[in-house]
Amino acid sequence: MEIVVCVKPVPDAETRLRPAPEGTTLDPEAVKFVLSGYDESAVEQALLLKESVPGSKVHVVAFGPAPRTEEVLRAAVALGCDQATWVDAGAERWADPIRAARALAPVLGGLPHDLILCGKQAGDDEGGLVAAALGELLSLPDFGAVVDLRWDPGSSRFRFQRAVETGQESWTAPAPCVVGLQQAWNDPRTAKLPAILKSRKATIARVAAAPRSASSPTVVPERFELPPPRTGAKMIDYRTPEEAAQKLVRILREEAKVFP
Amino acid sequence: MPDFSLTAEQESLRDLARKFARTEMAPHAAECDRSGRFPEEIYRKAYDLGLMNLNVPTEFGGSGLGVVDQCLIVEELAYACAGMTTSVIANCLALEPILLGATPEQKDRLLRPFCAQYQLASFCLTEPSGGSDAGGLKTRARRDGDHYVLDGEKCFITNAPHAALYTVFATVDPTLRHRGITAFVVPRSAEGVLPGKDEEKMGHRASSTGTVRFEGVRVPAADRLGGDGEGFALALRTLDQTRTPIGALATGIAQAALDLAAGYSLKRQTFGKAISEHQAIQIKLANMAQAVHAARLLTWHAAWTIDRGGKGTLESSIAKCFASDAALHVADEAIQTFGGYGYMKDYPVEKLLRDAKLTQIYEGANEIQRTVIARELLEHYA
Repeated sequence: MEIVVCVKPVPDAETRLRPAPEGTTLDPEAVKFVLSGYDESAVEQALLLKESVPGSKVHVVAFGPAPRTEEVLRAAVALGCDQATWVDAGAERWADPIRAARALAPVLGGLPHDLILCGKQAGDDEGGLVAAALGELLSLPDFGAVVDLRWDPGSSRFRFQRAVETGQESWTAPAPCVVGLQQAWNDPRTAKLPAILKSRKATIARVAAAPRSASSPTVVPERFELPPPRTGAKMIDYRTPEEAAQKLVRILREEAKVFP
Repeated sequence: MPDFSLTAEQESLRDLARKFARTEMAPHAAECDRSGRFPEEIYRKAYDLGLMNLNVPTEFGGSGLGVVDQCLIVEELAYACAGMTTSVIANCLALEPILLGATPEQKDRLLRPFCAQYQLASFCLTEPSGGSDAGGLKTRARRDGDHYVLDGEKCFITNAPHAALYTVFATVDPTLRHRGITAFVVPRSAEGVLPGKDEEKMGHRASSTGTVRFEGVRVPAADRLGGDGEGFALALRTLDQTRTPIGALATGIAQAALDLAAGYSLKRQTFGKAISEHQAIQIKLANMAQAVHAARLLTWHAAWTIDRGGKGTLESSIAKCFASDAALHVADEAIQTFGGYGYMKDYPVEKLLRDAKLTQIYEGANEIQRTVIARELLEHYA
């Protein structure tokens, strides 16, 4: 089975973010970029399928600028992906999900694929559109919020669940298809030290992204700013829990007027 | 000028160690410290990820890292739990004499199968009658045909009760002092190898420390490292290689203490404001930060010196001595910053002080490090 996984570099949640000087994007200086959380699950799911279907290969693809995109591709190779392709965004610092899908689609179309996996949404903008857009652009069926994706060799179809508000839906789908993954059937694995060292020497194929089409609608960010610092927290001085409770009740009643 | 930035590869190694330390080690650190439990399942995971035999070349099944890379990993691990880290890196110390002193045939025969699965090894130099005075060790090795017969007792041996392999230093003739010391590789399975009980320790309680007695243990001459009398130099060369990561371990403890103290100082209020706004605390934090930074840079410099092929005796002694003193001092100041809470076992800082103390003692007590530093120093003036 030929499995293609699309991943996105996103800022590490522990990084302190700040706007770039031009004020419309994140300042990439001193930001550590990592594999987006759902993408980690997508990579895990791809590797689980590879391990369960003999002769499978996993090809990881990412669209974005240097050097962050190459770094997350190496991280995916260290986890066990066989090949990696970087769709180079060049000087493009920001892309909405549709632009990302348009950049990825022609590259994916040229790769053998029985399954195209994405995280169901990115960990930064939480767009959640790339899988659906890829399905549209590649004329493939697409499914979002998928959990527990398995290959059924008997019917030659994928079987999976979708987590929906009312419960779990059970689905089957033919190959090839596009899947936005919510959760693999195992927790994402950790890359081992020898694999990390080997991934540094892996060849990452580079393809320049097709230029943004002038007629294609696109979102342009106007401002990128941090939320205002939180205010209003009030520390209660107390000696005993009873005193703390009394003071809290008084504040809730008289100042916040939460109850009469 | 040297470049202090890490390569992308080094950052990935550090990230791996950090993730392992924070997700696998840290959640169990307090529990193992309280109970003294040896969390073997964590050590197994460390082995599986390649975090155990860091200094062993890949051709023998290790991770094949240089000393700078080892230090980056060890600091991250120690940030979460110094005791577990001591047990994880004990193989590096125990196997280093094989790396430095074994023939290619011995390495192939002794190292490769050992590293192919999760196993622990122990470095057996210290004896009940002395550790720093290694030249005076009493364990005897008597030649008997194509074997040696080992008799004696080692103590304060990391991982001893759990180890499958021991690198043992014994004397073929005590009157020769350090010129009689000879190194051997002894499997736990050899008859007469008797590991003793786990010691109750002040800190590093997730690690295991114990005695090993050798009672008429027959060791093939083929498992001797180097020649008769070459063991003392081998032990010193081993410690030259492994001392620097102890500096990194101490730096990890110190960084944890600084982070906890700084974080607490922003939350704790006295006299109507956060204690971080009191100059007394600011000066404390500033001094702690200097000590941590200096400890790290001295450690990196020693590691860099060794990775470039230098002997690094002076540099690694300075790094180990300074970083371990810094760790104790910074942990002490962290407790002071926490005040009464810092003295309580419900808070994580008192553990750091107990853990830091050992780094001044093991792998060459700091008094010995200072002796070494002075000797190396005075050579330049003689």
